[in-house]
Parts: sequence; C-alpha cells; structure tokens
Amino acid sequence: MLWKDAYELGVPQIDAQHKELFRRVEAFLQVVRSKDAWEEKLPKINETLEFMKGYVVEHFRDEEEYQKKINYPGYEAHKQIHIGMVDYVLEVSKQFEETNYNENLVQQFGGKLLSWLINHVAAEDQRIADYAKKEEVNGNGR
Amino acid sequence: MVDELYKAFVDSTYNVFNLMFNISDISVHSTENFTCDDEIDIVVGIVGELQGEVTYRFPVATSLSMVNIMSGMEFEDVDIFVTSAISEVANIISGNVVTALSDHTKKYDILPPVQGKPDDSKEYEIESSCCVSTSIGGICLKIGLNSA
Repeated sequence: MLWKDAYELGVPQIDAQHKELFRRVEAFLQVVRSKDAWEEKLPKINETLEFMKGYVVEHFRDEEEYQKKINYPGYEAHKQIHIGMVDYVLEVSKQFEETNYNENLVQQFGGKLLSWLINHVAAEDQRIADYAKKEEVNGNGR
Repeated sequence: MVDELYKAFVDSTYNVFNLMFNISDISVHSTENFTCDDEIDIVVGIVGELQGEVTYRFPVATSLSMVNIMSGMEFEDVDIFVTSAISEVANIISGNVVTALSDHTKKYDILPPVQGKPDDSKEYEIESSCCVSTSIGGICLKIGLNSA
C-alpha cells in the first residue's frame, strides 16, 4: 500500500486529501503497471490524469491556505514546488494527447509521480507539521 | 569545500533513504570496494557558483528494491518507469544538497536528471566520490565541479 500512517500531518483536511491522492495514484499505478493491453488501460489513465489536473490544484490550494493560516515561513518556497508539479502534470497531459497516448510517456510520468509524491508528503509536508508542532499552532481552530 | 559538499551529499542521501524508504542503517565508505554488474547511472548537472555534475550509480537490484518499497509492487526488470522513479530520487537528493549549500551569497541550481555515463574526459577542480551502503544495497556518488 502506498499510504503510510507516518505521513499524517495531524491536520484532518490535509490528511484526508493526502489519503485520497495516494489512493488515486496507487490505483493509477496499478493500471499503468498491469499486463492488460494498452488500449484497455487508456480510459482509466485518462480518467486519472483528468482527476489529477483538478484535485491536485484543489489540494495544493487548501494546503497553501493552511500554511498561510499558521504563518509557515517556507510558504513561498513550498508554493513554488506546487506550481512546478501542476505545470508538469499539465505538460504531460498535453503531450499525452499530442503523442496519441504514448505509453512510454505515461510510464515515465508514473515513475516520477511515485517518487515525487512520497518525498513531498514524507519530507516537504512534514516540515509544515514540524513547524506547527514547534510553534504550537495547528490551524484547526483550537 | 570538498568536505562540505561531501557531507551535504551524504546527509541528503541519508535523509532521503530514511524518509522515503524507512531505512536508517546507512554507512559510507570509499568507492574502492564497490562492485556491481549492472546499474542505472543518473547524471544531475549543477549550475551557478559551481558548475559540473553529480553521477549516481544505482545497482539494478537496489533500484528494484527502492521502487518496490515505494509502490508496494513487484518489479522484475528496469524499464522506463523504474528509471524515471530512480532519476527523481537522484533529483531529490541533489535538490536537497543545493538548498543546503545555497545561501545569500552563493547560489546553485540543478538540471533535470538524465540517464547516462559521466563525461570522464572533463577535468574538475573539485572531485569526490563515495558509496553509501544500505540494507537494500549500495549506491555510489561521483561529484565533479568547477568554479563558475
């Protein structure tokens, strides 16, 4: 399983979104790596790319709002990382259509997404949780 | 500078293996005893106050274990998915290093990782290499940098 409890930040909304993101990415990777014919995988792959384009933007926005609420000092740098990933997802999605659904492109995207997501949540996002804990702010209204 | 750079790479590799793969039993040694029949070589270019490249040598078995730990899925061979995932790990380690070394006066940046062998014909003012051993195998780093 992709998700690990160690990734929890202690912010219910963000944790729920992370779990949903991991669940979707895991389902996506299982389809990408399955031995089914490429044509059979395409609908699920297209569905996930569409989901990513919408949900990632929504999640990043909520996470950035939380960072502002707790005055997280790494807000600007973290926002730039988010912008970079959104641009990458949009670019892959565009190339995917332009190359008439090239499989190598999706395999490459899947590999990078796997490492990127785990590092981002396990390392970058954990710094937000560490700051909130240190400053004794949680932004949950308590 | 070499010591500072060396330490930054070792620290970053340790942190990445600890956080992403839950592996903390890591030791560092020279490249002399590193033997590997097959590997994925990832080159990350460095630009800015220092210019050059860092080459990561990931043995195939180590690479497959890394992707298995992250995904929970079995991988038998290196393919474009595995190479991409491992390239991103090299990118993350290098990114952490340039962040750790950059300050208000010195700025560094990294280029996107590419699969390939290091350019051995180039000569560098700063050269260093080391191997990092973990419970899923070792990886080697070769660093070559010049002042801009």
